[in-house]
Amino acid sequence: MAGKGERRFLKNMPGWRASFNPWILRLPNNPERLAFVLHRITGILLVLILFVHITFTTTPATRGWEFWVEEIKRAQGITPVTLYFFIFAGIAIFHGLNGIRLLLVEFLGCCVGKPEKPKPPYISATLRASQRTLLYIVFALWIVLWMIAGYIIFT
Amino acid sequence: MAQALKSAARYPPKSVRVKIKRYSPETGREWWQVYEVEAYRGMTVLDALLQVKEKRDHTIVMRYSCRMGVCGSCGMVINGTPRLACQTQVSMVASEENPEFTVEPMKNFPVIRDLLTDFTSFFEKHRKVKPYLIRRDTGEQENPKTEYRMTPEELLEIYPYSLCISCGLCVSACPVSASDEGFLGPQALAQLWRYTADVRDEAWRERLEIADDENGALKCHFAASCSAVCPKAVDPGGAIQMLRSALLKYKLGLWRKKSISGPVPPLEPTGEKMPLPPEAQTLPGVDLEAMEREPVVIDASRLLD
Repeated sequence: MAGKGERRFLKNMPGWRASFNPWILRLPNNPERLAFVLHRITGILLVLILFVHITFTTTPATRGWEFWVEEIKRAQGITPVTLYFFIFAGIAIFHGLNGIRLLLVEFLGCCVGKPEKPKPPYISATLRASQRTLLYIVFALWIVLWMIAGYIIFT
Repeated sequence: MAQALKSAARYPPKSVRVKIKRYSPETGREWWQVYEVEAYRGMTVLDALLQVKEKRDHTIVMRYSCRMGVCGSCGMVINGTPRLACQTQVSMVASEENPEFTVEPMKNFPVIRDLLTDFTSFFEKHRKVKPYLIRRDTGEQENPKTEYRMTPEELLEIYPYSLCISCGLCVSACPVSASDEGFLGPQALAQLWRYTADVRDEAWRERLEIADDENGALKCHFAASCSAVCPKAVDPGGAIQMLRSALLKYKLGLWRKKSISGPVPPLEPTGEKMPLPPEAQTLPGVDLEAMEREPVVIDASRLLD
């Protein structure tokens, strides 16, 4: 609490929550925000999965090949492991596809539309440009490829 | 941002509840306060807030000026969306089923009191990108004799960005500004691109170096929320992506400004006469050829008599 006669400004910043909660603000006509949040979450999960992967693949060096082979055999057909691979496929596919979209838009500046004279109803050119179509394609491809991956993993 | 025109034309409920997020800098206390307001067709959220201030509670603090979406002073978070209070109709945010709407100060800005936010850092960042034309020939810029040449196509390249009213809604919506105080923000970066792309400007290298900073364009992750909330369709998101693309190419030695225009040379009298169109007719009794031979001199002092 501020002292007597002292005034202080309120730091009104949502911080990291803005990067993980797409509904922290109600933003109409902004699916890019959802893609941004998903990209962040999947990025962090991929790093965590990478650590799990590295830990698991170093077991032959630490505990021998027999243990490794036994573990692989034991893991086959176990639901949590299969589910883990299914979730991993979803995370990796989305992050990869959206990453390609971001490379195109951010580094090549393509699909963001040309500057134009704003007119009612005042929707920014970028939100009407082909990057939006690209985003919908990414979402659609993600679902399709994830389903295919799921079919391969579960059968 | 697209205005919901259909809902704007509707009648709002006769009475609405305005739920305002308040802050006292003396005590550091934050709280929500609800006020009942009589609404009418065409009433804006700013009108509702002013009615609260006039009739219910004089202590509410907010910033506003023009009341018509030009000055950019009344940016607030209304029902969770950063908007200009003067451009938001009460009928767009309240209905008979839900007559209550919330008003909060803009996010990512320090709150001075209630709905009033501090723009010091915002304008410091704006100043940092040198938002003015810079020419190598400063003498010519200080004492201009003619205007600079600019085609309509070249104007269109920068026109939407020049409509920015510095309302701060884009910064309020930006998820990167929410977690990083140092980030230049969508408004400043869009203005950086606006002057970099301007054919009359010669300081594009300086500005690209500013954008290449750790707090510059590379921190943008294209959530496009800035473009979604902009009330003037300035499109900061698009401007930043074009800036990033130019910056990358510039660093690879593949980008330089297409053209830099100079001042239009003053017109020299050529002595050529503009012929009259064939359908033009002089007044009866006027002989143009005679007038050319003997120009009519009007003595102003005689007119005064």
